[in-house]
Amino acid sequence: MAEQEIQVHEKMQVNPPEGEFTREGPYFTPAVDICENEKELILKVDMPGVNGKNVEIDLRDGVLSIVGKVAEAAPEGQELLTEYRTGNYFRSFRITDVVDQEKITASMTDGVLTLVLPKSHKAVPRKIPIATT
Amino acid sequence: MRSLIPWRRGEVESREHSLATLRREMDDLFDSFFGSDWFLSGPYSGRKFVPAFDISETENEFVVKAELPGVDTKEVQVNLTGNVVTVSGEKKEEREQKSESVHRVERAYGSFTRSFTIPGDIQEDKAEASYKDGVLTLKLPKAESSKKKTIKIELK
Repeated sequence: MAEQEIQVHEKMQVNPPEGEFTREGPYFTPAVDICENEKELILKVDMPGVNGKNVEIDLRDGVLSIVGKVAEAAPEGQELLTEYRTGNYFRSFRITDVVDQEKITASMTDGVLTLVLPKSHKAVPRKIPIATT
Repeated sequence: MRSLIPWRRGEVESREHSLATLRREMDDLFDSFFGSDWFLSGPYSGRKFVPAFDISETENEFVVKAELPGVDTKEVQVNLTGNVVTVSGEKKEEREQKSESVHRVERAYGSFTRSFTIPGDIQEDKAEASYKDGVLTLKLPKAESSKKKTIKIELK
């Protein structure tokens, strides 16, 4: 129980289900937080080292896939400590009709991609007023 | 059958000893299942944020890199004491509304401090730190004393 060593979370490497990537280099699974409020679903994706320009978000057949390409090269010179590897990111999510697929927005700050998926009209809860006579 | 088992000296464990072994094995089992800080963290508090670092050395400088996605630069402190670099900061959980329900929490939050001893002397006044796209990069130029010197030896 005395062991309280810090543990760095290792990036998980992925192999995409639909064949291999055509670009070389490892792909990692980014960590994702998913929250929901009444109007929208919010995804936050940690992709350190990825610039907003190098993110491809693709929505096809109800599958939202995110590819983040790392602009930086792996460190040069002699390595003294290696806790993480530099590589691209890939993750995909299945999206149902609950989401209004036309209105998905994305933004990127400090290596965190934020995706906002608004709920479709029918999935937003509504109050139905009761007419009293 | 009994005669087929070779007799070895000192093989039989005492009763106390086997109990101690059992206890240790049980402890290991619990630790591997719950983790050593399971009771402290609780199942819903999320993972503790420990950023990953890479340190490399080129001819003229040491380069320290850390993955700090979503960390506000105002929350990051980088200190250099002699040849010890200390990076501390906090990754805050940005949740706007309380009414949100959470489906998945994989990203880790919390404060962190990590320090590293750089194997060599640094020109402290020329150390640089930058933060871009969630990656912190420290460039620590080597002092003349820790640069590699190559001496050419004349062949006679």
